[in-house]
Amino acid sequence: MKNFFFKIYMLAFMALVVFFMVVIWKVTFAHILHEYSNRKQAQEISKFKEEREEKGKKSNFEKIILESEERVKRYLGYRILEEVRIKGHFHHIGFDIGPDKRSYCINCHGDMPHDAVKELRAFLNMHAFFVGCETCHVRLDGQEKTGIFKWYDRKTGDIVASPVKKSSPGSFKAKIIPFEKINGTIQRVDSQDRIDFALEYRSREESLTEAQKSRAKKLLHKIVAKQPYICEDCHQTENPILPFDAIGYPKERIDSITSTEVVGMIKNYTKFYMPNMLHPGETLKK
Amino acid sequence: MIKTRIQKSCFIIFLPLFLTITFALLSSSYAADIGNCLLCHKYPGISRVDEEGRMRLFYVNEPIYNNSVHAKVKCEGCHTDIKEIPHKPAKKVDCLVECHIVEPSTEKKFSHKDVEGFIQSSVHGKVDKDGNEKKYAEDYPGCKDCHDNPLFRPLSFFKRVRPGISEQSLSRCKVCHKKEEFVYQFYNHVTTRLHKSRNPLNIAEMCGRCHDDPALVARHELSTKAVISYGETFHGKAASFLDERIPDCLDCHVNKGDSVHQMLGHKDPASSIHKDNKGKICATIDCHPSASPKFATYGVHAEFNLTQSPAQYFFTFFFIVLTGGTLLPLMGVIFLDLLRRFFPHATIGRRK
Amino acid sequence: MEKYPMIKIKDGKKYFYRFSLNQRIQHIILAVTVVLLVLTGMPLKFHDASWAPYLYALFGGIKYAPVVHKVNGAILMLLFFYHIFYLIYVIRKYHIEPLKKKGELGKWDAVKTVLTQKMVPNLKDALDIRDLMKYLFFLTNKRPDGDEMTWKEKFDYWAPFWGMVIIGFSGLILWNKELFTHIVPGGVLNFLIIAHSDEALLAGLFLFIWHWYNVHFSISVFPMGTVFLTGYLSEELMVEEHYQYYVKIMKKAGLEHEILPPHGAHEHEAHEGGASS
Repeated sequence: MKNFFFKIYMLAFMALVVFFMVVIWKVTFAHILHEYSNRKQAQEISKFKEEREEKGKKSNFEKIILESEERVKRYLGYRILEEVRIKGHFHHIGFDIGPDKRSYCINCHGDMPHDAVKELRAFLNMHAFFVGCETCHVRLDGQEKTGIFKWYDRKTGDIVASPVKKSSPGSFKAKIIPFEKINGTIQRVDSQDRIDFALEYRSREESLTEAQKSRAKKLLHKIVAKQPYICEDCHQTENPILPFDAIGYPKERIDSITSTEVVGMIKNYTKFYMPNMLHPGETLKK
Repeated sequence: MIKTRIQKSCFIIFLPLFLTITFALLSSSYAADIGNCLLCHKYPGISRVDEEGRMRLFYVNEPIYNNSVHAKVKCEGCHTDIKEIPHKPAKKVDCLVECHIVEPSTEKKFSHKDVEGFIQSSVHGKVDKDGNEKKYAEDYPGCKDCHDNPLFRPLSFFKRVRPGISEQSLSRCKVCHKKEEFVYQFYNHVTTRLHKSRNPLNIAEMCGRCHDDPALVARHELSTKAVISYGETFHGKAASFLDERIPDCLDCHVNKGDSVHQMLGHKDPASSIHKDNKGKICATIDCHPSASPKFATYGVHAEFNLTQSPAQYFFTFFFIVLTGGTLLPLMGVIFLDLLRRFFPHATIGRRK
Repeated sequence: MEKYPMIKIKDGKKYFYRFSLNQRIQHIILAVTVVLLVLTGMPLKFHDASWAPYLYALFGGIKYAPVVHKVNGAILMLLFFYHIFYLIYVIRKYHIEPLKKKGELGKWDAVKTVLTQKMVPNLKDALDIRDLMKYLFFLTNKRPDGDEMTWKEKFDYWAPFWGMVIIGFSGLILWNKELFTHIVPGGVLNFLIIAHSDEALLAGLFLFIWHWYNVHFSISVFPMGTVFLTGYLSEELMVEEHYQYYVKIMKKAGLEHEILPPHGAHEHEAHEGGASS
């Protein structure tokens, strides 16, 4: 028995020795090779300075898309402020809200999807931060309509209690999703079946023919209304689409959302920009 | 190399102590938002992607803003073109604008205008002495390349010097100054200014965004990736362990008493790092008071690089070869020794 | 030196004298200070490793860890000087003085005495290494028959010795850099830092891998060799590592008939025999 354990021990130790040899290689000779390649690279850069510079100007996925996510920590002494750094951004963000892992739409449309109506897009994106796409872009009628809306966790996708009272406005880690009634059962609009369908389309997109693709897209967007709900559908006191009370908004927040200040501003906007908004599909286009 | 990802454990210890104080106190609303801009801009999701594909975030975190040096400045103070709600896409903020704050000592309107002059005459100015634009002018920094909204880093001196606000000190201010907001603001402003408004690591990271970029270093024929080589010195390492007392880039590269914006190249005779002035850098009362001028010949930016510092390169090379050359064979022996113990009698050829 | 018997018998087993109490205490001080020096030094060398800040924080972070490092460094330097003094004293008292008394101290005898000290590497070590290679590459089943101090032990002795000269003196200068740069230019510090940290890495890895393998982790001694505490080595290990010396001692003690056969291969046989019975 003892002998057996010794053998196991020896084998483990041999593995350990090999591991350490790799580590030592890394901190010693590999270091020299690394320096050498760095130096060669630097020489190359200075040799082809102009050329490289031209190259640098060209758009390059890595440089533009992936490098943009820099995280910084500011050491203030009494606290550490950690946040994403956006180049050229002056104001601090101060917290993170993780990506929406559940959404039916975000995989293709991204989490800042509104782009078309210039003066409104930032507002729409602001809402998209805590209002699920389907809340505005799906119109349930007749049998399907339930009038039920709930919050789902961005990270897990599960239905959670209303976060409204616990967080500052708009910085919830949850989003609103409507519920529909199908064959008598009430279920969320972004059902697992739909999400799986969308994901499978994404993974098999390249192997599909154009006709198949169109068909899939049609089916994917079947639930999307031609005419999404607009600001005034919710920002009003008479029968808003969202049951604010039921989704956990306290009275003063409801008053604020439907206040003359907000509604008045929307009126202002409507006057100038509504014509654009009424182009169906415009706000959805990527 | 200094990396942000390092967990700064020693500081985390202090965190619970001070976390509560300032933010709890300062989250109360200030007068900055007279125009009620936060009606919309308090929502974190207020954002879009602009025509160049850059993410534009219009969110303002109120508690953090109120804890910044600009807390008293109204939104319109910088975003001067916004007069009404709703507004059209705003213009870029000009940091040199005269804002609505009155500078108390001169009673003139406050402005960062002077900085422009400092930068222009410094190594970071976009134009040279003759007024011609420098080569690769777009590489030279603008305000926001180095600064985001500076946050207060208050200190307490009440019993001992520690980060954060001393409530006992505040209570003394409040005896005369009745406006709480003014007291907080003033306390924060003064104590932040009594030391560095950024930790040495944050300063180094800021400089490193340009000065560690190999392409930029090559374009401007700089001798070193400055922050990487700084990171290899004791100073840089201590900075990465969050030492507040350690010198960062600004401490050596700016003449004492000058604005940090007046940074000069090493060829400029007025520069602190010019070969005639260099000897004085280290021997200041706060650093190495007894050091001789010779001390400053220490190679602060020496890299492990054959072309930049060949002597150091070969010296290191020797030790690397010594380390690898000693340990790898010895570990080979250990490995073989272990292997041999599995087969004690497996001799090739003659058998006993 | 006479107060330690060469062979001690306890519970019927023979133990062979290796180290005096003085030497054992020196070794403990060395071991403790070196471990602390490595623990407070390596986080600085590998400051961007993920473990570095935590390890450093354990010793008080950037504020106090350097102090711990310097205090330990100072103790180790003192130990080093003491050891030099100790060496001179021992060689004089036990090797040169007796020669002098006999009147046999010739011109070169002092030098010869120093060079034939048991810790000085010699031809036998080279041969042992050759034999070990033969053994490890399965060319023979016979391990080299080591003398009193084998090449491994000499390595273990001289590597830290050279390390302490390099690391100790560079550390001392770096500690008092302001003073020394009144004499030498600051550029010298660059080289001293390289020497200090790179040599420390070598020394640290050497001790924790090579030395610890030989005295702790090798299954001959696992979990821990006790000779550094007791000063006496078991007969089994004596046979395995120092067979030549073992035979010499046994003969000197008049125990020729009790000499064990050399370790052909390993004590594995014994283990296997024990396990199956």
